[in-house]
Amino acid sequence: MKSASELTDFYYKNLYPVLKKLEKDREHLRYRILLIGSLYTLFVAVICFIFLNDLLQNLNFILFVGFAYIGIGAIIYKFLIKDYTQEFKDKIIQPLIHAIDEKLHYSSNEYIPQFLFEKSELFTSRPDRMSGNDYVKGEMDGTKIEFSDVHAQKRHKDSKGRESWSTIFKGIFIVAEFNKNFDAKTIVLPDSAQNTFGDLIGHWLQSKNGAREELVKMDNSAFEKEFVVYSSDQIEARYILSHSLMQRLLEFKKKSEHPVYVSFIGDAIHIAIYYDKDLFEPSVFRSLLEYKIAMEYVKTLHLALGIVEELKLNRKIWSKK
Amino acid sequence: MPTLLIVAAVVALILILMYNSLVSKKNQVENIFAGVDTVLKKRYDLIPNLVASVSKYMEHEKSLLQEITKLRADANKPNLSDAQKIALDAKVSSALGSIMVAVENYPQLKANENVMHLQHSLNETEEQISAARRAYNQAVTDYNNAIEMIPTNFMASAMNYTRKEVFEIHETQRNNINVKELFS
Repeated sequence: MKSASELTDFYYKNLYPVLKKLEKDREHLRYRILLIGSLYTLFVAVICFIFLNDLLQNLNFILFVGFAYIGIGAIIYKFLIKDYTQEFKDKIIQPLIHAIDEKLHYSSNEYIPQFLFEKSELFTSRPDRMSGNDYVKGEMDGTKIEFSDVHAQKRHKDSKGRESWSTIFKGIFIVAEFNKNFDAKTIVLPDSAQNTFGDLIGHWLQSKNGAREELVKMDNSAFEKEFVVYSSDQIEARYILSHSLMQRLLEFKKKSEHPVYVSFIGDAIHIAIYYDKDLFEPSVFRSLLEYKIAMEYVKTLHLALGIVEELKLNRKIWSKK
Repeated sequence: MPTLLIVAAVVALILILMYNSLVSKKNQVENIFAGVDTVLKKRYDLIPNLVASVSKYMEHEKSLLQEITKLRADANKPNLSDAQKIALDAKVSSALGSIMVAVENYPQLKANENVMHLQHSLNETEEQISAARRAYNQAVTDYNNAIEMIPTNFMASAMNYTRKEVFEIHETQRNNINVKELFS
């Protein structure tokens, strides 16, 4: 697989003509957004001024206007950047992915099927609404892998029947074939209890997690500090999480700089990286040529497709063929 | 009078909880040892096949092959204690390791599909055994902690619970030591 710096070179060299054109589009777009945004804000301000008396008497009305302003604003914004976004994905993200491997399938509108997300059992609440984009599927070094941006949400209803949505997960969700055979379910989550309450109380709290299987205490203290492991089989959990895989997961966590959730179910490894934002989206207010912006696209892609190499999923020395 | 009753009830409850937690820790050790036993047996079952496949070629390692056959026979004896099984496992691991190193010296063996397949299976069982040992050691550590720590140690000595031995994990199996970290 190409290294991150090779990909950065590709971004600045091969994609430069397209980037320059997109840069122009972006500047136009930014101008249009600022113009339309100001007009829109002015328009709302005038309306507010007309209904000033009503507004001051009713708090709910103020809230309503506030939400409507933000909601309609977001729709207008999305509409304005639609073409630019599509062009960016077709001409920048897709070539970047194909630079890693030509056979990888990329679709900017699709996302990981919901059943795969649920199958991973990484999050205990079932999503009521799922969305996503930037779906990549294919093989790396003979190992099947797919991933996409995912936003899973849960619906809540209060006593008055009002609906609200909360985020279960937002970030990259990766599913890859795992190289060992196993039957049990093993789940590796970021450790918060142990970090907050110390080992003794932390372990005790973790073992009382009713939504999860048995707690598995691992024999790698650095790993234990970062993660908590639950499994339906104490032995198999350790068969999967060998000393070397624990070390590699730790390094992966460090590299990703975000909370990492991992599960081993069926014959696959599921990895969810919580970014709390939509990735692979074009920047509108900052230049596409900026190194930091470019590195974000390259780094995230490299991280997701690199798991096969990083976690040595392509090493098939076991009887699983 | 009611205060006394409440105190008695609380004390009884604490005693019951301590008792139950000790029993569950002991059972966890036994459960996991059953798992260790299963994978150990899986490896013992591979030995006759391995010996049969390599003995034609391995002239110089006859004693090694005899030793491993004998170890397997010992392991199949009934009524072995857990400690004896642990000791046998260590010997079998080292003998198998030597055989696998010796295989490298015989090109005919390395070309033999059957031997290669056995080597794959052995690798896999070896990993499973290593996982089982680690699981067992953790269960034993939890158990040993409970029987030595206050206040469960009083209950444990009343119940006649004694310390259990852990598997020694050979340094060679912890082969992922990060050299960079050693120097930083």
